[in-house]
Amino acid sequence: MKQNKLNTILHHFLNALIPIFFAFLIGAIAILVAGENPLETFYILFQRALFTERGLTRTLHYASPLILTGLAIGISFKAGLFNMGVEGQLLVGGFVVAVLGYTYSDLPSGVLVPMLLIAGILSGIMTAMIPALLKALFNVNELVVSLLMNYAIIHVLQYLTTNVFRDPSRGYVSTHMIGSSAILSRMFGTRITPFFFIALFVFLIMYIVFNHSKLGYEIRAIGKNLEFSEAVGMNVKKKILTIMTYSGALAGLGGAGWMMSDRYAYTLNFSGDPGLGWDGMLIALLGAHSPVGILVAAVFYGALKSGSQAIAIHTSVPQEIIAVIQSLLILFLSIKFLKESKVLERLTCRFLPKQAKEEEV
Amino acid sequence: MDILRVLYDMLYYAGPILFCTLGGLFAYKVNVINIGLEGMMLFGGFIGALLIFYTGNYLLGLSGAVMLGVALGLLFSFFGITKKANFIITGFAINLLAVAIGYYTLALMGRTDINVIGEVRHMSLRLNIPVLRSIPVLGDVFSGHSILTYVAFLSIFIVHFVMYHTKFGVYVRVAGESPEAAEAVGINIHKIKYAAIIVGGFLCALAGVNVAVEQIAAYTPQITAGTGFIAIAAIYCAAGSPMKSSGYAILFGLMQALARNLAVVIGGIAGLLNVIPYLTVIVVLSIIAINRYRKTNIRGYAHD
Repeated sequence: MKQNKLNTILHHFLNALIPIFFAFLIGAIAILVAGENPLETFYILFQRALFTERGLTRTLHYASPLILTGLAIGISFKAGLFNMGVEGQLLVGGFVVAVLGYTYSDLPSGVLVPMLLIAGILSGIMTAMIPALLKALFNVNELVVSLLMNYAIIHVLQYLTTNVFRDPSRGYVSTHMIGSSAILSRMFGTRITPFFFIALFVFLIMYIVFNHSKLGYEIRAIGKNLEFSEAVGMNVKKKILTIMTYSGALAGLGGAGWMMSDRYAYTLNFSGDPGLGWDGMLIALLGAHSPVGILVAAVFYGALKSGSQAIAIHTSVPQEIIAVIQSLLILFLSIKFLKESKVLERLTCRFLPKQAKEEEV
Repeated sequence: MDILRVLYDMLYYAGPILFCTLGGLFAYKVNVINIGLEGMMLFGGFIGALLIFYTGNYLLGLSGAVMLGVALGLLFSFFGITKKANFIITGFAINLLAVAIGYYTLALMGRTDINVIGEVRHMSLRLNIPVLRSIPVLGDVFSGHSILTYVAFLSIFIVHFVMYHTKFGVYVRVAGESPEAAEAVGINIHKIKYAAIIVGGFLCALAGVNVAVEQIAAYTPQITAGTGFIAIAAIYCAAGSPMKSSGYAILFGLMQALARNLAVVIGGIAGLLNVIPYLTVIVVLSIIAINRYRKTNIRGYAHD
């Protein structure tokens, strides 16, 4: 049994490592085009992001929303649902928190912070419910609906930020800054905020949901065979709504936390480019839709983000290189380089007595 | 609001949607959903604008774009068909890659866009076709579009013809509808799928050049603004029929034209009108899905 688990972990690990290798290889070409040494650039990237205290805490800070969006995409993909609206759900969560965090800024922190986090979660859920209901009730393609909703949401929020909730004292388009009692402030003199621990806590909850709950089992069943799950009496429609609720809640919380720990006001590039929701897709894929994998992948991607700033400072490579490597990674991750865990099984078989091997089955 | 202006804009905006729709059709018919239409279009616009920026040669830009489109189709096919990748993810990766490479190149060039207005201005890419011009009242609607917009509308009929009156079209439909039968009569399904997807890459590249070079004359990674996904919705709405899908594509073009022209009239909430095209697509897609759902659940057990 244990051997089997080790097998899958090794298998996931290699399946993530090979695409990373290819993505960095092609990324290296792009760096050569910029006239820099790729190895040196990658060294700076990871050395600064992981082996300096400043860099590492920043990496963990960046990883916080990514853990949540990664889980948001992971839970829906695992069930075979393409919630491509995580980006939009995160934006709505962030925006609502920006508005409420300014309006109620005289509330004490102990009341305001939980209230805002819940508001973010609820906004994420409500946004996710539109494609979820259409899918559950009428089988409308959730991929296209949730995707196009992102564009609609971006335009609506842009309008609201520019015209209704704009802070006129700023030279660029932005809402008012949230009150100081709404801010999740830095801890231990580093870049880490309570948001990182919130994200870790949510990760633990989701770990239990994925691996030790009935819902987790049902999600896997639906993802593997929807008709079968329905035939054996699972209420698939209800499950679609539940899964999308989780997904939207995670995305909304990600937006709320990012607003309260990093941005403090809604601007038109609140989520960056590509947004945190899209980053979540990479992370879910890299982590093979499993919570632990997603956690590791989020920290890895946090390191890329944190290191990209070092690249911009110490080399002439534009920090946009990170997005190039990210999309290459997704491209290569769409292939399963190792089919099943057969290769490893064969490898490990040699080191295992035959009987033990049979017992596993 | 000038109705004729709206109709002119409808054709203007429908052009790129049509290219992507028709491009995605072939893949749809062989049961491959090409989510990468958007990225293939963006890559086309990018390389087209880039080549014209450096050489000033429109044909070079166009052929560069087309070659890249074909190459992307090949890449998508290799991943999705030969390597059996999750092609929805592959498509997405192409979309994200198109944006990322765009921003990376812009950063290397130290620019915010690849502006080709100067190069395009004296190329007379807008056609004045005397026959169309002489149509009473509507002459101004049909006349004065750019070359590729006309090509887009011509493509509707070409694609319809190819799909229903050529061997290739039959193969594509058979490969999608019953792969076993296709294989039994000796059709190489892999080859057909490759071809179907590559045609899509080709047409999407034209969409990109249409927007980035002929219409806006400046490339930024935002020019596509969901056109590829709108096209996918159009294909879904019509279940892959070339004529009907094109109808939806033109309808969505009309919505963009309305959003733009209403904005001029209304002013204040103009920004909010940008959501019209996207919401229309979602609403239309939902209505059609609901209808289809009712029909397929004729036995009624889904209504309890």
